[in-house]
Amino acid sequence: MSKFLTVLTIVLLLIPAMLFSTERLPRPEKITLNNGLVVYYLQNPELPLVSFRLLIKGAGSAFEPDGLDGLANFTADMLLKGTSTMTAEEIAEALDFMGARLSFTSVEEYASGGGECLSQFLPRLLHIAADCLSSPAFNEDEYKKELSRKVDTLKAVKDNPGRALRQYFKKAYFGQHPFGHISLGTDSSLARMSLPELKKFHSQRYRPDMTMMALVGDVKREDLVKLLNETIGRWPKAAGPAPAASIPPLPSPVGQKLVLVDKPDATQAYFALGSPGFPQKDKIVVPATIMNTLWGGRFTSWLSTELRIKRGLTYGASSSFQSWKNGGLFMASSYTRNEKIGEMLDITFELLKKARSQGFSAEEIESAKNYIIGQFPETLETNGSKASAYLRLIYYDLGFDYFDRYLADIQAASPKEIKQAAIKLLPEKNYTLVVVGKASEVKKQLGKYGRWEEKKITDPDF
Amino acid sequence: MPKKTVIFILSLCWLTVMLQASFKKEDIKVFQLDNGLKIILYEDHKIPNISYYTFFRVGSRCERPGLTGVSHFIEHMMFNGTKKYGPGEFDRLMEFNGGANNAYTGDDFTAYTDWFPSTALEKMVELEADRMQGLLFDPQVLESERGVIASERRLSVENNNEAILYENVRATAIMAHPYHWDVIGWMSDILGWRPDEIKQYYQTYYAPNNAVLVVVGDFESSKLMELIKKYYGQIPAQSPPPPIITVEPPQQGRKEVVVRKEAQTPSFMVVYHGPACTSPDFFALSILQKPLVEGESSRLYRRLVRQEQLALSVSGGIEEKIDPFLFMIEVKPRPGVDLTRIEKIIDEELAKIIQEGLSETEFEKARNIGLSSFYFGLQTNSGKANMLGAMEMLYGSYERLFTYIDSYLAVKREDIPSVARKYFNDLNKTVGYLLPEGGQR
Repeated sequence: MSKFLTVLTIVLLLIPAMLFSTERLPRPEKITLNNGLVVYYLQNPELPLVSFRLLIKGAGSAFEPDGLDGLANFTADMLLKGTSTMTAEEIAEALDFMGARLSFTSVEEYASGGGECLSQFLPRLLHIAADCLSSPAFNEDEYKKELSRKVDTLKAVKDNPGRALRQYFKKAYFGQHPFGHISLGTDSSLARMSLPELKKFHSQRYRPDMTMMALVGDVKREDLVKLLNETIGRWPKAAGPAPAASIPPLPSPVGQKLVLVDKPDATQAYFALGSPGFPQKDKIVVPATIMNTLWGGRFTSWLSTELRIKRGLTYGASSSFQSWKNGGLFMASSYTRNEKIGEMLDITFELLKKARSQGFSAEEIESAKNYIIGQFPETLETNGSKASAYLRLIYYDLGFDYFDRYLADIQAASPKEIKQAAIKLLPEKNYTLVVVGKASEVKKQLGKYGRWEEKKITDPDF
Repeated sequence: MPKKTVIFILSLCWLTVMLQASFKKEDIKVFQLDNGLKIILYEDHKIPNISYYTFFRVGSRCERPGLTGVSHFIEHMMFNGTKKYGPGEFDRLMEFNGGANNAYTGDDFTAYTDWFPSTALEKMVELEADRMQGLLFDPQVLESERGVIASERRLSVENNNEAILYENVRATAIMAHPYHWDVIGWMSDILGWRPDEIKQYYQTYYAPNNAVLVVVGDFESSKLMELIKKYYGQIPAQSPPPPIITVEPPQQGRKEVVVRKEAQTPSFMVVYHGPACTSPDFFALSILQKPLVEGESSRLYRRLVRQEQLALSVSGGIEEKIDPFLFMIEVKPRPGVDLTRIEKIIDEELAKIIQEGLSETEFEKARNIGLSSFYFGLQTNSGKANMLGAMEMLYGSYERLFTYIDSYLAVKREDIPSVARKYFNDLNKTVGYLLPEGGQR
């Protein structure tokens, strides 16, 4: 048991911090492989380890056909379930034998991969990774096993209110927008899923010209270049142009969208409140991050102070911004005993109002700046975090000097800009609010917010 | 939870021979103050930050009925004010100086973990020394924090089926030793601890002679030692805490616990009494667990998840504890499957290991998994600080980190069957089922 959960620590430290880095982020070397795939490389001989990350543009969940939620993630999952040269069991055996990690997944905008191993095993790991990307088998039997596991996983997710909340929130906030696709899949999307759809998604969207890679660790340049050209570099170029990868503008809630999910056995009620954020390249990131650090982004934030420290209503309360190419999301969430959820929401909305009307004191702002700058170096301490940072800077076109500029801007941000960020970004009347809890106790406390759409946790989908 | 992470990292710390390349025992400086505080320093200037970890030899193992969960509660109260700095000041000052922190309580020890820019060093030494002796226990703050803990218990146990089952299985398997209860404690105790008992507990266990300080990162050792002497030097030592004398009696037959709860999916767990971390058998079981339950190539994953398709996931292994604890196998069953079938398959797979042991390949795989996890754990200042401190708590010295490998290398492949036979038998076993309300086993 810890002072607060690791998950919250990650929200607190890594998410805001991943947005920013330090002048100490060493510049990587750019290596272009024979097939056009670009690799960003940094040598680090300190420990006999290597980490790499892959990003496949246009292979994220936003590009799934409507009604096929989870297709992108399912496709990524299947990469490890057998290739033209190895069965799923051979892949698992080879990875475990090396003590190596290799995974593929997808988020809204892209698919991603990650691998790490002892340097001595890098050749083997890169061969497997290249094989998985370029020639997955999409074996029927493996597909059925994975599908049935996914169907049952949805039930397990609904037994965990915190995890279920995130899925309900995503659907409620994004609605029909492709960012509303649930990467776990839904009961109805999994019923509609098919192996040909997965194969099609892979053949159209996994292409070397849409892929970039970053690798950091204990490997020499000449060895690496040779190795990459023998592995990832042999992934054949795709024929024809890549399919469209544009994403419609993100929705902006007008008025209140309220969803109550009844979980009769829950002893706590969980809420998530969301409203529009800002795109990755937006300069508002600087005052917004300072503002969020103070409002709900760290242990002594207003939200945590009022809900946890002063009133003991909850073990954790936090807020964060998430940003994509063409938009972003602000989200605040916490949980408390069913009978206290009304009080918790009242306080949350009071604090939003207070930040918009008063802003923050000079001392608070100085503290937030010190905190953001002081915590920053640890966010790039490992090989893996450096590799992830390189891909992010490239993908969002931020430039390798981004973190240097960013930290300087943090230092220079004015109280006025920070208050303006609060006014612009903290929701007042337009928001999505989702509550998961025991409806018979929760509902009577929520009437003043308006009309709630009610769902039962046992109903299919989210 | 962080608690688990430590154990995971430690159970994989081995093959440290190659370690000497970058992280050498000779570069570690050790000091002890007159009041008994032990200090372990490792300078590393790669980033301008410091990881400052304080370990106390206190955990749920030191508790008794009525006071279960109090170790963890004091961990929370450590952020709630001293005579010098009022409630909330620790976090406020730390964050103002660019630092962040967390803390975790386990069965055997409690750790306070601070990460901050090196410019904040003196302030942090002062703050940490201050709360080692001067906690305020303001009545109002104490009651509010009780509510936080109750919320934490509702979050991490009552609304988590696997945790409910774990708590039941653990309390069923372990009858006498204080490992009977989990770190969070029972709800009635959380609601009922008396302030005077809490203060007494703090006084006994939060003493310099019961603590170890580990600092890794961007500082100069001689300057840091001056600060440590200045701020910690005057803290008085306390009488040593009473020893934990209860020894768990041998189990004399299979135990079973059934939890019925509203749920869409069942849960399943089987545990066997295992050895303390100082036992040579501990290392044999730690090797054995890797090909048994770790990764998709493991025997139980293949059988239960892939071949028979009875389960969504499999995990487990032996936990590294001061006193004998449990070897656990946790399975997330698919809805509607026959849980006795899962138990039978686990029995079959354990019987195979008892009869045939592990293959050469599996034995080597276990070594590679251990080695890579070990290095990944050492990538950061915090990882190094955590491992050094945990070695102090569990084995009595950080030096154990650098000899860990020897214990592993002492395990022979041919020893595996006899060790497996010793622990994996029906008399020593407890099985837990969480059944969705109204469901059939």
